[in-house]
Order: sequence, then structure tokens, then C-alpha cells
Amino acid sequence: MASKKTAQKTLRLAPVLDLNEATALHEKLLALKGNAVAIDASAVERIGALCVQVLIAGARNWEEQQLSFTFAKVSDAFVKTTQLIGVDIDPLMAKEI
Amino acid sequence: MDMNEIKEIFFQECEEQLAELESGLLKLNDGDRDPETVNAVFRAVHSIKGGAGAFGLDDLVSFAHVFETTLDCVRSNRLEPNQDVLKVMLKSADVLADLTNAARDGGSVDQARSRQLIKELEALANGELPRASAAEPAPKAEASVPAAVVSPPVNEEGFQPVAFSFEDFEADEPALIEGTCYEIVFRPKSELYAKGNDATLLLRDLSRLGEMSIHCDKDGLPPLDGMNPEEAYFSWKISLKTDKGEEAIRSVFEFAEWDCDLDIALAGGCAVDAGEELPMQPVPFDLSMLDEAPAGSADGEEQIATRDRDAAVSAAETASNVLQMAQSSNRAPAEAQRNAAAAAAAQQAASAATPTIRVDLDRVDRLINLVGELVINQAMLSQSVIENDTNGTSSINMGLEELQQLTREIQDSVMAIRAQPVKPVFQRMSRIVREIADMTGKSVRLVTEGENTEVDKTVIDKLAEPLTHMIRNAVDHGLETPEKRLAAGKSAEGTVRLTAKHRSGRIVIELADDGAGINREKVRQKAIDNDLIAADANLSDEEIDNLIFHAGFSTADKISDISGRGVGMDVVKRSIQALGGRINISSKPGQGSVFTMSLPLTLAVLDGMVVTVANQTLVVPLTAIVETLQPEASAIHSFGATQRLISIRNSFCPLVDVGRILNFRATQANPVEGVALLVESEGGGQRALMVDAIQGQRQVVIKSLEANYTHVPGIAAATILGDGRVALILDVDAIVAASRGQSLKPEMSLAAAG
Repeated sequence: MASKKTAQKTLRLAPVLDLNEATALHEKLLALKGNAVAIDASAVERIGALCVQVLIAGARNWEEQQLSFTFAKVSDAFVKTTQLIGVDIDPLMAKEI
Repeated sequence: MDMNEIKEIFFQECEEQLAELESGLLKLNDGDRDPETVNAVFRAVHSIKGGAGAFGLDDLVSFAHVFETTLDCVRSNRLEPNQDVLKVMLKSADVLADLTNAARDGGSVDQARSRQLIKELEALANGELPRASAAEPAPKAEASVPAAVVSPPVNEEGFQPVAFSFEDFEADEPALIEGTCYEIVFRPKSELYAKGNDATLLLRDLSRLGEMSIHCDKDGLPPLDGMNPEEAYFSWKISLKTDKGEEAIRSVFEFAEWDCDLDIALAGGCAVDAGEELPMQPVPFDLSMLDEAPAGSADGEEQIATRDRDAAVSAAETASNVLQMAQSSNRAPAEAQRNAAAAAAAQQAASAATPTIRVDLDRVDRLINLVGELVINQAMLSQSVIENDTNGTSSINMGLEELQQLTREIQDSVMAIRAQPVKPVFQRMSRIVREIADMTGKSVRLVTEGENTEVDKTVIDKLAEPLTHMIRNAVDHGLETPEKRLAAGKSAEGTVRLTAKHRSGRIVIELADDGAGINREKVRQKAIDNDLIAADANLSDEEIDNLIFHAGFSTADKISDISGRGVGMDVVKRSIQALGGRINISSKPGQGSVFTMSLPLTLAVLDGMVVTVANQTLVVPLTAIVETLQPEASAIHSFGATQRLISIRNSFCPLVDVGRILNFRATQANPVEGVALLVESEGGGQRALMVDAIQGQRQVVIKSLEANYTHVPGIAAATILGDGRVALILDVDAIVAASRGQSLKPEMSLAAAG
């Protein structure tokens, strides 16, 4: 698998993912292209729909590249918000546990 | 509006909610079982939590949440609100108030206390619940771990999950909702985000209306390279089952309606669980969802939009350039987002009460000051018209009379703006009673009456401290321990009664306890020990009672944290007097004591007697004057070198020559030519103030002498009379003190003038 050949990079998300953070998050994701990515969302306190959009777009992109894109750690707020807005991140949850 | 103003509004709202909360809890404590009362209490805590969440005040949110959870048990009749339960709840309300204050002013709160209360609250929610939680719909009961969401310490205490769904308080029993189903299509535009709002917030509010299923339409999402991170791509199809109606749904989107496409339609059948063709996801607020894959998961991710890559890359470049420029201006929208949330919360809370506006106190004061000037000006005008008017029947006179009435009415209305009910102060007292009762191990009940009695805001602000002192004293010294009370044939629970009422243009506040009363023997002995009175002094009961107002007096055997350091009642008396008030005490052994305070309704105007002393016009506060009399030569007796006494109804009273004391004249005036004003001074003694003549009685606007000139010993303040001259308002206590041989020293009259 492709994901095993490349080194896995971890992207730690900021606590507040609002409008201001969406562009930064987008850039960070673009910079990680070509690597397997584990998203650490454990510090997230607040996440807006814009950042969810970026993350989902990222997930699709990675899937297209057949690289692994997982949420290694998630905070309660993160899970709650994504569930609230009907975005299912479960398939992207790290499964190795 | 900047962030701080909004926050300030939030805290003001909080204060109101806390008052609501406390009065609701006290009603419950008195046996009120009206569901509306419980709901009101619940709403108060919930609003605080909601607002605090918007400002990211985590401590407040987590405590409010646990509190709310327990209240929810009461609301759904799973927990009987008995005395023990309410005791914990009242304490929790206090801690909530502390946390709010700490959030506003900084500072810290007693962590141990709030942790302890969180534990107690959970025990309550938990203790009576095993049956109830089992009865709840199984998935919910298993899933909800409310406290864990916000308050980790809770879990460490082994808190069992109770049936309570986080945030979703309106719909805690979904099966029972008799609602209609709406199909909502919500397509936010980019402007919505640009203005700082967020779809997640709107959806969260929406989810509170009822049972909601949601489908997020991600088809519009471009590939990562080609996307603009600040563009809105997602849209939502929501099916909501609610009993609130379309109006409520629309109001959720109130602040966003121009920035999104919104379709709300009545659904044919309730499709909440039906799934239909949309891969709907129910919206649970639970956490156990983490462990197991939910049914009916959206598989939108698989539909990947494929576009021309080259175009996408160039678009991304352009986008990121634009965005970099835009980023600097991003702070404002972030604030606007919080603004919107706070405004929504404020609106929700405000809709319940009668419409009010918040006005800066400075503005009101400025208005009051101007109206005061208007009154003075009007008086000057009418006086000059009268002086220049020879025939006395001109139409100007009639017009002036009307003007006078109008100005007086304007003045009264403006004064009414500053008038506030004493309720907030009284409510603070109930907390103090609880805390001291706890410390002393006594069981105390505070009964308040006349909380809606209105009085000037300055008076209210300055009332809190002396009242606190007195309440502490009443509970600590006045009331006996439960054992002693039972032995005396009283109920174990002591009662402290706090009442406020209007009495002839003043506010009278009474603090009564049903304790042991003042131990006169002990007070007398203590006064002798402290050299306050001679060992053989013959004092009436009343005089002995009044000894406790002496500085450095305390009968408590041991000094406690609460009271007994001897800086109590004298401070109380001084602060009451500084407000232009009087304090009296009456006590019956074995039945308790009553403290009565009489205070002016306002500090901005004063009823005074205008008098002449050595061609100077002075104003004597009417409250100080007991009676006026024309001295006869036979009633005047010389005493010592310079002192004179006047005999009034067979008792002697020192005669005080005001003109001499204020250095208006060098020699003593002849008492027979003047008028004597019998005044009551500090300590209850009477003095006869000698003035030359009485001009009349008038309401005068008080002008601070300190602010405009400098402090003058013996003078409390000044006013402007109708003829435009400045008249000085006499500081009666300072004059009386000076007549005792002490010279007028600036610091002596500070309290009275302050």
C-alpha cells in the first residue's frame, strides 16, 4: 500500500478552527500532500463548517491519491460538531487500536 | 459595539438570571411545586450556560452544566426537591454567582467548594436515579455521559451516566414530542461565514428545537487544490420534528437569512427515522458513538468531484493570493460571530421581561443634574418676575406657575429613573445568611418583605455593607443555637426578617430576629469594663441597647471569623448616618431584637428648612429637626462661662449658637431674638440650635461642596436658592459635636458630608 511506503505525517489541529483558521488549515494540508497524514484533533475546542469543508476535501484528495488520511485523535467537541452537521468522520477514524 | 460591551451585557444578563435563579429556588424551598417555577430556575441556569459558552468561559459552562443536569432531574420529577436537595442547589447558585463574578472581574473561586458541590449535585442526580434511567430509551441512557463532555473531574468520581442529553434540553423525552415535521434545506452562502457566523452554530440552535436528522450535501465540494477555504460548499437537508412551529425555525436563522438559501417545508410524514432516499444521520449528542459505527452513515465522500486539474491549480494560486490579503481583515468577523451569539442569547432572555433599556448611570446623573439646574433656574425666574411685577396679576405669573409644576414633575420623573428596587441587596443577604448559618451551625430562615420598594441607586449601593454587618450580627449573636432554641420552647430554625417599606418620604428597613435579644446585663458590664460608662451609671434599657453602637464594643465571648471584633455596629451606624439615615434598636429579652433604619429616598434632593444666621442663609435638613420653638427669656439659663441651657418641658437642653460656631459673628446672639431648632443628633441626645429666623421649608437640590470647592467643616453640602445665591446645608452632627467643646475639625464631619 502506498501509505506504508511514505512516512506518516501528523497534523495537529488548532483549538479554535474558525474562519481565520480555514485558510491556514488549507495551506497546511496542501503542504502535506503526497504523505500519509494522521490528523490530531485532540485539542479542538471549536470547529466551524469551513474547516470541516477543508478537512473533507483533504480526505477526498488523499483517497484519490490512495494515501492514508486518518483522524488519529479527536476531541469531544470535534466529534460532536461533525456529528451535529451531519459529516461522518467515522470511516476516517484511526482503526489500529 | 465592541467585544467588551457585549460581554458586559452578558454579565448584566447573568446577574438578572442569577436573581431569577435564587428567587426560584427560594420559592421551591418554601414548598412551591409549580412546574413553571422549576422551569424558570432551569432556564436561568441554561441561559447562563449558553452565554458563557459563547464567550468560552469554560469553568462557568462546566459548573452550570452539572447544575443543569441535576435541575433537569427535578424538572422531570425524578428528584424530589426537598430541603436537603435545595440546600445544595442554593449553594450551587452561590458558586455559580462566584464563578460569574470571577469571569467578569478576574480573581479566583474556591475550587474545592465548587468541586465538592459538583460531587453533591451529581450524587443527587445519580442517587435517586437508577430506576429512572433504566426507564429511558436505552440508547440514550447508555450514551449520555453529560459531565464528561465539559467537566473531566466528574468522571474521576465515578459518575454514572444519567438520562440527559447534552444541549438538547428542550427535547429530553423525544418519544413524547407531539411535533410536526419540517423539511429544511439550508444552503449557506460564503457571506455567512465572512460575517463571522457559522453553519455549525445555526445547526446547533436548530437541533435544540426538537428531534433532528441531518444530511450534509458535500457534492459541491471541489478538490482540495481548487477550493477556496472561505467559500461555502456544504449545504444541508434537515428533517426536524418539533412542536415549536415554523416561526421558531425561522428565528434560528434570523441573523443569517440574507446570507443563505433557506427552504422550510412541512413534511408529509415524519421521516425522522424513516431514512427515505437521503442517507440521513440522526443527530445524537453522545460520545459512545465513537466506539461503534453508526448505522446509516453518509457516504458522500466517495463521490469525488473530478475537474480539470490545471484550471484548479491556477485557481488555487489566485485564491491563496486573495486570501492572504483578506486574512488581515479577518479579526472583525470573528468578533461578529460572538456578537451574533451573544445578541441571540440576550434577545432570548430579554423577551421574557418587560421592555427595558440599559443606560449608563453617568447619563442619568447628567440629566438629573440638568433638571436640578432647571428647577433652580425656574425658581430664579419666578422670583425676578414677582419682584418686577407691580400689579401682580400678569399672565406671566400664571404661566410661571404651570412651569413650576412641570419642572417639579420632570424632577420627580427623573428621580424615579434612579430609583431601583432593593431586591438585589436583599437577595445578596439571603446568601450571607446561608453562609453564616453554615459556619455557626445554626438553622436560619430569612424572610424578606417589600423587596420591590424603590430607593435611589446610590442608597442601594451603600446599603449593602451595613446590612451585611447587621445580618451577620443577627445570625451570629442574635439567634441561639438550635439546642438552646428548643430548650427555650422555640422552633429549632431561627427566623431573620428583613423588610422594606416607604414611610413618609423615607424608606424604612427593618431587620428583626427571633433570637435571645440583647443581653443587657452583659452589655452593661462590657461597657463598664471598656470604660464607656461609669460603673454606677444609671441607664435606661434603651440607652443600654444603644451602647452596642459604640466603637470598639463587642459582647461576643470569643472572636469568630464572622463577627465580634468590635468593628461592627459603630461602622453600621456611621454608614447609615452618612446616607442621611437613622438607626434604632429595640430588643426584648428572649424574643429577639429589631433594628430599624430610616433612610432618605434620594441623595440628590433634600427637604430642608431655610434659616437665616447672621445674614447668611443656611439649610438645615428637615430629618434632623424634631421641633422649632421661640425661646423665652425665662427659659434660658446660663451654665458655666459660655454655655447656656434652655429648659423645654421641664428638661434642660444645651443651646447651640450656630452663628458663633461657624464664626459668622464674634459675640453670642441673644436667644430671645432668635428661634431654636430642636435637633436630634448622633447618640440620640437633643440640642437646641439657635438661628436668627426661619425663612421657610423647601426641597433643595444638593450640590457637593467638595466637588466644586473644598470641604468646609460643619457644612455638609450646598444648594442654589431661587434668588441665585448659594446656601450652605448644615452638617448638624458636626455642629453638635463642635458645641461640646471640640473645635470644628475637617475629619469630624467627613462622614456626614460624604
